[in-house]
Amino acid sequence: MRKKWRWSNIYLLLIFALLYIPIFYLIFYSFNKSGSMTHFEGITLEHYHTLFEDTRLLGIVIVTFLLAFLSALIATLIGTFGAMAIYYTKKRQMRTTLLSLNNILMVSPDVIIGASFLIFFTFLGLKLGFSSVLMAHIAFSIPIVVLMVLPKLQEMNDSMIDAARDLGAGNWAVIRKVIFPYIAPGIIAGYFMAFTYSLDDFAVTFFVTGNGFSTLSVEIYSRARQGINLEINALSTLLFLFSMLLVIGYYFVSQDNLTKKQKKRRKEQSEVADLL
Amino acid sequence: MKKLQTLLIGIISIILILFVCSQQLKKSQGFSSENTVTIYNWGDYIDPDLIKKFEKESGYKVRYETFDSNEAMFTKIKQGGTNYDIAIPSEYMIQKMMDEKMLVALDKSKIKGLSNIDPRFLNLSFDPNNQYSIPYFWGTLGIIYNDKFVSADKIKHWNDLWRPELKNNVMLIDGAREVMGLALNSEGQSLNSTNHTQLLEAKNKLNLLTPNIKAIVADEIKMYMVNEESAVAVSFSGEAAEMLENNEHLHYVIPSEGSNLWFDNIVMPKTVKNKKGAYAFINFMLEPKNAAQNAEYIGYSTPNQAAVSLLPKKITADKQFYPDDQTMANLEVYKNLGSKNLERYNDLFLEFKMYRK
Repeated sequence: MRKKWRWSNIYLLLIFALLYIPIFYLIFYSFNKSGSMTHFEGITLEHYHTLFEDTRLLGIVIVTFLLAFLSALIATLIGTFGAMAIYYTKKRQMRTTLLSLNNILMVSPDVIIGASFLIFFTFLGLKLGFSSVLMAHIAFSIPIVVLMVLPKLQEMNDSMIDAARDLGAGNWAVIRKVIFPYIAPGIIAGYFMAFTYSLDDFAVTFFVTGNGFSTLSVEIYSRARQGINLEINALSTLLFLFSMLLVIGYYFVSQDNLTKKQKKRRKEQSEVADLL
Repeated sequence: MKKLQTLLIGIISIILILFVCSQQLKKSQGFSSENTVTIYNWGDYIDPDLIKKFEKESGYKVRYETFDSNEAMFTKIKQGGTNYDIAIPSEYMIQKMMDEKMLVALDKSKIKGLSNIDPRFLNLSFDPNNQYSIPYFWGTLGIIYNDKFVSADKIKHWNDLWRPELKNNVMLIDGAREVMGLALNSEGQSLNSTNHTQLLEAKNKLNLLTPNIKAIVADEIKMYMVNEESAVAVSFSGEAAEMLENNEHLHYVIPSEGSNLWFDNIVMPKTVKNKKGAYAFINFMLEPKNAAQNAEYIGYSTPNQAAVSLLPKKITADKQFYPDDQTMANLEVYKNLGSKNLERYNDLFLEFKMYRK
């Protein structure tokens, strides 16, 4: 089959170039001998050394990831059950109201959410720090999870649940054996969406940090006033490589699943052929 | 379900590992409620080695947080939630914080080394008798030019900005007080003027500057000037120091007829928890050796007289950042003009920004 020339390919190439060139530019300068991004002098690993000696920054990286993993986990738990609650609300009007309330939270600007959390937390007299940021992150992640899980629930065939009940399954068994396996892809997608939201959120976090607690986005932002240090370039490079590893890892895992399935199918097919 | 279970176990174990890591890191830093001093400062505005030195000498642990604008800092401290022991705002914000009763009056008997500070920088209008603040760094507003495009003798005064050969080649910092102030100064008036006719004249004069203006921008000026996008810019001395470092063709001039003198001062907000530690930090920063080390690292001018003598001659002889007495005499600190006058400044500045010939 001959490859067809398409204009859309150029478009695609352009988009990818636009997205990747700045990142590679940044990575390139993380090896720069001179201290700024104005001109390239020579290759050095000095900025990586300073990065690993900067325990404050490394500590911030660790808590940023801890926060992302933990807040996404809790948000997924709450969001999944929330989606189920919305789905099983009997009254139609009530259900649409709940859903629109969820959607309003999705589209409202981060700055507003952040400012309201700050006012709310200080009104309650809570100390700002890890717990306040965690709560804020959980809160703004829940609507995302709900939105990811709900379509899966709507796709589900309700007669499966009726069948399970007819066979004597209790509430928990229905959830565990029927609903969860069916909506698992939605839950996983929701988790990762919440994870990335938490990882790069700036506006909300900025308002509710305090008492020595800071996340990566806030820290980089306040450093940017003096011109971004090349140490940040080095850190960004490492984070970029890390996310690339994650994607590659995910690719191999899904590939592995596929081949297993394919193998199984092939085996079944040959067995059927043998029988015939 | 199995997939979900393995995922759940994986995530929980990652969380546990990260948690242990962060705890370990925290333990190795050794924070506790009594020995912690929380400092709220501009990003990258202290030599990190000094923090380590302070921790070693005093036994206190420093919790260091950063902000990027006076306004952000003000909101954060005003809202509470964090016990900041030390903050370092600029002079106009100090006045605002004083008005809002957000600052603790300093006990002078606990401060050692105040005599090291140049008397010219003490007892200024924004904080009489330095009741609430101690100078940290100071600087000026001036003109940065590129000697590739303009010769040095053509840029000496504010009026030189109006030269016709600078058409579309001037960048201004986006600040009402700064821009109105330079117009007032160029006319020989005080930059704290509240006289309506003077202000209107200044604004009319600024209108004539429009053909020369390339852009009115904020922090980006630094990058633009280093990349030689424009021949002349008006900005702060600290910003200028960084530009000069990155491009040898750039120079900084303080117009002798007058300009703004600004300060970033150390204050103790009402949220202070560890007063002893805060005083220890102030005393530490007042020590000439430390102040000199900090000034060398940051590149701004130090108000510490004793520290100036410790700095290399190359730095202190630089008229651009340690101007002579005559220039100094003409510098003015911004006074709080009250909200009504400030509004007038803002309105006039906005009118100038919208002016098109």
